[in-house]
Amino acid sequence: MAPANSEEHNVEHMDGTRDFVISRTLDAPHDLVWQTWTQPEHLNRWWGPKGFKVVACDIDLRPGGVLHYGLQSPDGNTMWGKWTFREIKAPELMVVVVSFSDKDRGVTRHPMAPSWPLETLSRTTFEEKDGKTLMTLRWRPINATPEEIAMFDASHESMTGGFSGTFEQLTAYLAAIQP
Amino acid sequence: MLQTSPQLDATFAALADPTRRAILARLAQGEAPVGELAKPFDMSLPAISKHLKVLERAGLVSRGREAQWRPVRLEAGPLKEAAGWIERYRKFWEQSFDRLDSYLQRLQAEAAKSKSAIKPSSKERKRGSGK
Repeated sequence: MAPANSEEHNVEHMDGTRDFVISRTLDAPHDLVWQTWTQPEHLNRWWGPKGFKVVACDIDLRPGGVLHYGLQSPDGNTMWGKWTFREIKAPELMVVVVSFSDKDRGVTRHPMAPSWPLETLSRTTFEEKDGKTLMTLRWRPINATPEEIAMFDASHESMTGGFSGTFEQLTAYLAAIQP
Repeated sequence: MLQTSPQLDATFAALADPTRRAILARLAQGEAPVGELAKPFDMSLPAISKHLKVLERAGLVSRGREAQWRPVRLEAGPLKEAAGWIERYRKFWEQSFDRLDSYLQRLQAEAAKSKSAIKPSSKERKRGSGK
């Protein structure tokens, strides 16, 4: 895994949210990488960890359009999700509102964590250099309550700060949920 | 799949008390006997024991059996569970990207092959963007 820029990790937005960042360099030009992200026949081939299957993938690639999908895990459960496109600049930038969903395209809560933000904003950039593409994903909660923000932050601090970071975040979380 | 919520409720309920959070913070540095945990607080041993029982029920601490003084130690599991949702996201995407990486290699190898075998481009474009 290519390490994400640590400065980017610490960007705090006006609403107090922080980005969660993942990046990866792929040995392919960004035109092709873009296609693999925006065409169902390509998404079917790579989306989800090994053993996952894309059972539905319906994409309307335009601002305001929706990508509605169903991903079946190896245990047979299907997880539904929805991306609503906010900004599209092929083949460089894709900004989407991410939410859990159901078969009927409704917006639903995280099936296992009710305090998870209902919607997160994901900004993915594809930067080509020497025929390779650096792909960077940034996530943060949007329209979120303080509890949801704390839950999100607690989650991603746990990845970078180890146990003590987690503990501090949980303390902050608790402070946020108590009147 | 929904079984995790009661555990989370117990975790957050146990963490809601400042004394219990202080106890956990102390235990994050290493196990300790009850007497030592009680020291920073103006509290009786039974009162501290009560807090420890709440933490123990939430699975956040355990008591040693081997020594007579039964040291208290931190169990990080429930905290990790509470805070680990992003880890699942990260794993999900990292593993997806592993697949994307090899898929792209295959696509490009096929493209190179058909380019050298037949004429370039038009077939290629179909493979890339067609239905």
